[in-house]
Amino acid sequence: MDVQRLKESFARVAMHGDAVPLFFYSDLFLRHPETRDLFPVSMAAQRDRLVHALARIVADVDNLDDLAVYLKGLGRDHRKFGTVAEHYPAVGTSLLATLAHFNGPDWTPELAADWKAAYGLVAQVMIAAADEDAGTRPSFWDATVLAHELRRFDIATFRLATTEPLAYLPGQSVSVESPERPRIWRFYSMANAPRDDLTMDFHVRMIDGGALSMVLTRGLAAGARLRVGPPVGALTYAPGSPRDVLLIAGSTGLAPLKAIVEQISGLAAPRQVHLFFGARTADGLYDLADLEKMADGYPWLTVVPAVSDDPGFRGERGQLPEVVARHGSWRQHDAYVAGPTPMVEATVAQLTALGVPPSQIHTEDFGWSEP
Amino acid sequence: MTVMPRNDGRLTPDQVQSVTFPTARLGRRGYDEEHVRAFCAHVERELVTLLNEKAALWEEVQRLRQRIMGHSDDLPGYRPEDAHIQAVRVLSNAQQTADRYVADAQLYSRQLAEDARRRRDEVLSEAHRYAERVLEEAHGTATRAAEAALTGPVSLTAGERRELTAELAYLRTFSDVYRTHLRAYLEALLRNVEEWERAEKSSIAAARADLPFLPADRLP
Repeated sequence: MDVQRLKESFARVAMHGDAVPLFFYSDLFLRHPETRDLFPVSMAAQRDRLVHALARIVADVDNLDDLAVYLKGLGRDHRKFGTVAEHYPAVGTSLLATLAHFNGPDWTPELAADWKAAYGLVAQVMIAAADEDAGTRPSFWDATVLAHELRRFDIATFRLATTEPLAYLPGQSVSVESPERPRIWRFYSMANAPRDDLTMDFHVRMIDGGALSMVLTRGLAAGARLRVGPPVGALTYAPGSPRDVLLIAGSTGLAPLKAIVEQISGLAAPRQVHLFFGARTADGLYDLADLEKMADGYPWLTVVPAVSDDPGFRGERGQLPEVVARHGSWRQHDAYVAGPTPMVEATVAQLTALGVPPSQIHTEDFGWSEP
Repeated sequence: MTVMPRNDGRLTPDQVQSVTFPTARLGRRGYDEEHVRAFCAHVERELVTLLNEKAALWEEVQRLRQRIMGHSDDLPGYRPEDAHIQAVRVLSNAQQTADRYVADAQLYSRQLAEDARRRRDEVLSEAHRYAERVLEEAHGTATRAAEAALTGPVSLTAGERRELTAELAYLRTFSDVYRTHLRAYLEALLRNVEEWERAEKSSIAAARADLPFLPADRLP
């Protein structure tokens, strides 16, 4: 396999931009109409994803160790989309047809053979990882909503029960799909430690124009069906740590940190825990009543609510990083930060400035900013 | 503006899509973000169209060249590959139309939600200010009344007693009126919210009714 020739031909094709994945998916859907159902109505985001994945694979084609890790993850991830081994040859045929089309007169039998071999390897690694994963867990979990509560016009909490057990660590998240928005998956953190009754709690913040968050905040009721994917995320607490714990939550970033508080409450000797919960206005502290109840019951837990844009609030006022800095230096703590992107970035910068070692700072960026 | 250089300097739709503009300096007005975004979307669409046209022309050239060079045995009519490429193009156009509809609907819903949020913040802060004013005035009146009662003579003449009784009656009425005002105002706000929710529900129902092709099990 001539790696350089492969890369050059991909660069020639990539020059055509969005026309390339557009051709690929049309070719795939014409040859195998049944595959259309695996994708959402709008394919715009999907096309970007395909191009990025292809670019990533081609760039790393001579760095097989890294590539294998990436491909295995990709293979496992594709299970929840309904991808099965039979789909891989179909994708391969359409990929080669697309490359042939855009390479034009430069498409030689040697180049075709190189691509065929490369795709064969990619598919083999992905299928093997998917098969291995299939031996240990379902591709997705069916779930039913048990209760849904609108806490503010744009913040809701809901509880669901999965039909099969789903093992996860407190602080992790799962991707969620609703039949109201088929094939659109978004990640949400569990707000509780694992329970025996297979129920899980979620906190959702409505993103303006957000495809799924609008359904989950305002369009959900008890009895609604959802699907959830396998748990992911590294915002997890190691019970053996000799340090006290600092939890900093912005808005619904509270969910994974509340799960960690629950986890610590089950330990024989809980460390001291400080939980800072911040929002723009007091009505954004949607779960404060429950947190205060927990603080009353757990002598090791201190809850500090903080509000940034509400002069009438009778508690800590200011941006979360400032408020946290006012309460200590936290150098001897394990810090966990979750919430909107600007809040997570500013808080990490503040903690670093206070001298908290990076190895003690754990974050989960929710990928949006407060309107 | 930053564009990752790639593909020997050619601009691709992907690059236009991921372009970033630096934020304007403090106190200076920068470009309107919405406009920049709309412009990028336009440029992207334009580029895609141009590239598709170019690909189509290139294929036509290939086909004609083959025909001239005498490679084509079946002179008139299409070969099966041509038919497939045509089908791919038709499907691609249909998909792009669908993508645009979804993007437009998403933009519209985002703008609606942003407007609603802004309006809600305005209404809430107005209600806040109003409630504060009512409280302040009531507090001031009560303080004045208390001061008058304290500094007044211990023994009251019948006239003074009458005056104070009248003031007390006035204060009661005053407080009643304010409470009624405040209640009416809050109820109006509540009605607003309820109407908003009703409108939202009926528009969702209407939107669903417009989508008869949705399988029944996808409806809640």
